[in-house]
Amino acid sequence: MDFYLGLAQIIGVHTLLGLSAYVVLLTGQVSLAQAGFMAIGAYVAAMLTVLSGWPLMAALIAAGLVAGITACLVGFPALRVHGLMLVVATVAFGEIVRLFFFNFDYQISRGSIKVGPLGGEGFRQIRYFPENGWTTLHVALFIWAIVALVMAALWWMDRSRAGAVLRAVGEDEIAAQSCGINLTAVKVSAMTAGGVIAGLAGGLYAHYTTHIEQTNFTILVATFAIAYPILGGLSSVFGTVAAVIFIQGFLVEGLRFLGDWRNLLFGALIVLVMNIRPSGLLDARTMAALRRLFGRREG
Amino acid sequence: MLELQGLSKHFGGVRAVDSLDLRITPGQIFGLIGPNGSGKSTTVNLITGLLPVTRGSIKLAGEEITNLPTHVRLSTGIARTFQNIRLFGQLTVWQNLWVAENARAQRERASFLSRWLGGERGARTRITRALEFSGLADKADELAANLAFGEQRRLELARAMAAEPKLLLLDEPAAGMNPEEIGALDDRIRQIRDSGITVLLIEHHMELIMAIADRIAVLNFGQKIAEGTPAEIQSNPAVREAYLGTAA
Amino acid sequence: MLFVDLVQSIVDGLLFGATYALIGIGFTLVFGVLHKINMAYGAASVGGAYAALRLIVLIGGPAWASLLIAGIAGGLFGLLIYWICFRFIPLSNPLATLMSTVGMFLLAEEIIVHTTDGMPQNYPVVVSGIADVGELMIRGDLVFVFVCAIIAMIVLLYLLYRTKLGIATRAVSQQPIAAQLVGIRLDHINALTFVVTGALGGFAGALIGSAVGLLSPLLVVPLTIKGLIVTVIGGLGSIPGAIIAGLLVGVAENVFQYFRGVTERDIYVMLLLFVFLVFRPGGIFSSTAKRD
Repeated sequence: MDFYLGLAQIIGVHTLLGLSAYVVLLTGQVSLAQAGFMAIGAYVAAMLTVLSGWPLMAALIAAGLVAGITACLVGFPALRVHGLMLVVATVAFGEIVRLFFFNFDYQISRGSIKVGPLGGEGFRQIRYFPENGWTTLHVALFIWAIVALVMAALWWMDRSRAGAVLRAVGEDEIAAQSCGINLTAVKVSAMTAGGVIAGLAGGLYAHYTTHIEQTNFTILVATFAIAYPILGGLSSVFGTVAAVIFIQGFLVEGLRFLGDWRNLLFGALIVLVMNIRPSGLLDARTMAALRRLFGRREG
Repeated sequence: MLELQGLSKHFGGVRAVDSLDLRITPGQIFGLIGPNGSGKSTTVNLITGLLPVTRGSIKLAGEEITNLPTHVRLSTGIARTFQNIRLFGQLTVWQNLWVAENARAQRERASFLSRWLGGERGARTRITRALEFSGLADKADELAANLAFGEQRRLELARAMAAEPKLLLLDEPAAGMNPEEIGALDDRIRQIRDSGITVLLIEHHMELIMAIADRIAVLNFGQKIAEGTPAEIQSNPAVREAYLGTAA
Repeated sequence: MLFVDLVQSIVDGLLFGATYALIGIGFTLVFGVLHKINMAYGAASVGGAYAALRLIVLIGGPAWASLLIAGIAGGLFGLLIYWICFRFIPLSNPLATLMSTVGMFLLAEEIIVHTTDGMPQNYPVVVSGIADVGELMIRGDLVFVFVCAIIAMIVLLYLLYRTKLGIATRAVSQQPIAAQLVGIRLDHINALTFVVTGALGGFAGALIGSAVGLLSPLLVVPLTIKGLIVTVIGGLGSIPGAIIAGLLVGVAENVFQYFRGVTERDIYVMLLLFVFLVFRPGGIFSSTAKRD
């Protein structure tokens, strides 16, 4: 049972990670910095609960805020440049964050041991859940409650005018400008929202694994983050969830018997899907067809 | 309504628009014509702010807008359509209008929440009316990319109108249309003018522009070579020269 | 004494930076022709070097031959990447080829890890020796790397500016539609670009291996990122920009290492990118990069 609960925790955190990239992707921007924002969230939340004794919920909110503010600050210079340059800038930013934590020491004595982040050793002993008597089930439910909250918010936003505006920017920036949309404001907002969600994901991740280090937040994680919404299709948040369940549930856990070879599958799968369905598995046409099938109307 | 003074745009050594002076009075359909490459589309891009001005000034209803960013100009009341249609293809027809209607809401300072979350009933009725006006009422949930060509043109016009502009720039709205569709377009542009919106119409289709424009300016090599009523323009020797010299 | 050390690290950085320039040129050429970034490029370059190293170890042969084999292997990988990640994917969808090459990047990195068990492999010495110039030490292997990189650049520029194929390639990058109208086959030129840049990358990968003394999967990510930084700082699509930016990044890396140590140096190299994004977003030669 614990195995499945653990898997549910992983899927929950990765869903948040994917959703953080989803918001940004809606505006047509590709951010490979999501692992960096996640790292910021993870270290902030863990330091607050372990070193400062904050309650988890407050620490998570702080983690989301700090990651969001960072995303906003990165957004301004990075969004001055277009598409492909942004990819480069965000890759670089993600690595800056990772290398920062590689060099980051801040330890205090707690009884006989020292706690806190220690460079390449990482940050051990994030024991909020065991110390407060949370079972694996509690943790899984807590993570999924937050996932559900974020998904509901994004789903709602998607159907509101804000969602239409984000997508309009993603479709055609010149036409969007000519419709009175402030491109910078929209893109930086999306980036900020993505940062907040990634920060939450990081905060949750730090607490359920109890040990974080910079290698948890490499470019591979950033790639996972954008791969989920792109593979799932950008038409709705459910595509992202489906892709996370497929990759984390099926490819990573289900094919464990393949051993290390399954790592090869992830890259190959991305290449394959992009060849067969360049707009993702659930693209706009499929979604429109599904919608007609179920007789729902929009607007 | 719109006043251009000494407006110039140079690309390197090329003077795409050269010291252009125009005055468009409110409630007119103002035609802007000229051979290919005479600077018409550049003028539109300068007025909407997509291109920075090299020299000169642009005033809208007496207010200086020369250096305002594009999106701000729209909320001061300039809307446009594009020569090569630029709809949000993966958005539905309804969403296309919803996005554009935001500019009007912004202008009226509708409360942040109602504007963004779309609970506002006014927006709904306005969009429904715009859909009916352009004959797209039954296509509201269709993706814009799936519309037929003529429908896309109508949607683009409706999208520009959804912002409730004071000045509407139409960049070759009749391009690629058949005579029947052009007839319908003719009526629609007149209706727009009669509702009090000033129209700047850029068009290749002479029959259409001569029929509906109140006043016409002719550009050649970025300079204005003539301005007057349709009758005056038709009899102007310089205009004949420009067209016959290059296009015939 | 301090000053000599600083000059020493600048010289070393300048010499080694030539390899970054090669990688930057590879990224920038593909961008110029297709307006796409091939994210798998760094991985394929290291892969080419690996393939050559294995072959040399397997069948024996002089160390310098590995450089040429790496170039050939890199060219083949380039063609493979074109076929798998670009040929059948609509180029109008900007996300699709970005994702497919990111997928390829992960795949290539994993294949390298798998075939070598993740262990670093020693690279044979091609040129050794140190020459003393005043108080400076000039490392023979770095001079060799620098000279080879310059030769590769000259060959590339000759191909681009003096051969029919090169002129066709430049025509495609400047006016794709007009180029097609005069009978240039777009997919041939695209494939050719990948072969040429791939060969350049494989060669650069082998040079890096010979200068560092080993190949490791850990080279892939930093090399990719530095190549991308070089491309952006040089201005997307600009070959002279990539050359200068490559040398600049090489120097910056060594100087930061001198002042801040090896674990922190890359942070500052990447911050350099942000400095450029804020003050000169179009790169060193910023006039041409404004269109996209």
